[in-house]
Amino acid sequence: MNKDRGAAHNGLTDWYWQRLSAVMLLVLIPLPFALLCAVYMGVLDQFELLEIFSHFVPLLLHTLLVFAIIVHAYFGLKLIIEDYVPAALMRVPLTGVILLIMGTIGIWWLALIWAWGG
Amino acid sequence: MSNIIKLEIYRYDPEKDAEPSMQAFEVPVTKAGMKLLDVLNYIKWHIDGTLTYRKSCGEGVCGSDGLNINGVNGLACITPIAGLKQPIKVRPLPSMNVIRDLVVDMEHFFDQYRSIKPWLQADSPLPEHERLQSPEERAELDGSYECIMCGCCTTSCPSWWWNGDRFLGPATLLQADRWLKDSRDEKIGERLDQLEDAFKLYRCHQIMNCMDCCPKELNPTKAIDHIKRTLLIRKS
Repeated sequence: MNKDRGAAHNGLTDWYWQRLSAVMLLVLIPLPFALLCAVYMGVLDQFELLEIFSHFVPLLLHTLLVFAIIVHAYFGLKLIIEDYVPAALMRVPLTGVILLIMGTIGIWWLALIWAWGG
Repeated sequence: MSNIIKLEIYRYDPEKDAEPSMQAFEVPVTKAGMKLLDVLNYIKWHIDGTLTYRKSCGEGVCGSDGLNINGVNGLACITPIAGLKQPIKVRPLPSMNVIRDLVVDMEHFFDQYRSIKPWLQADSPLPEHERLQSPEERAELDGSYECIMCGCCTTSCPSWWWNGDRFLGPATLLQADRWLKDSRDEKIGERLDQLEDAFKLYRCHQIMNCMDCCPKELNPTKAIDHIKRTLLIRKS
């Protein structure tokens, strides 16, 4: 009995990007927390915080953080959908919807921070 | 330890029973160091001859008596009664079709095993005597060749429960890795081509139930990770 249902070669790409984005998150996530702690402890006020984010390097790091969050969340949700939605007719459009939502959030977030920085 | 061993055993005969049930048994301790298989044998030979289960070597080599024992998969023949919480709940391997009582249908499991072509594939001419390995090359196979295909790991894997029709499962992937590591095999590319699949391989989310329950103390999660890294190296 031939049970082979073909191959879905996207597995390696998904795995690679999920791990790469996880490493990026591990490095970048502590930075905003450190800034928030500084604000709560009175070392920085809100205007000084906004001032920091108007410089190029913080903006770049913020952009990378947004990218890592969006990529990691998208591939995580995609994996969950692949795990629990066996019917391809539902799984593929659902994955598309998630991609659309994540893309929109990412673009909105980046537009916001670059407009803010500018 | 009391002189009586209390058990609750899964009973189901699809031809007669509408649904499965748990049947209680009490078995006397007949010798020191009893294993679960000794208890099942006692029930079969002295209490209820209709109890159905698989067994063969009785020494943890054949892998035929894989069972779910108090919620954890293991081999009945090497599981000591001492230390098991009583009543000992004995069920068939999870997520498998039950043929009768503790006997499950292993056909799909072995179909998946066959799909990875678990034999040496080489096009180069056969040497006069045999295809040799250095001791170092042979040592690479440690931790994978010992697998006895009992199915304990695969049937404890939630990813296999949800996607068992496509995900190959820990036992098969451990064996796939064994052939990737074999210095004599010449079909690594084809083997990797077959494995590079979002469902066959990448359903493993490193839950590690497979490693926890393996009666031979092997680590299929590590083997699966090695396959993923080999695919990554090939790509880059």
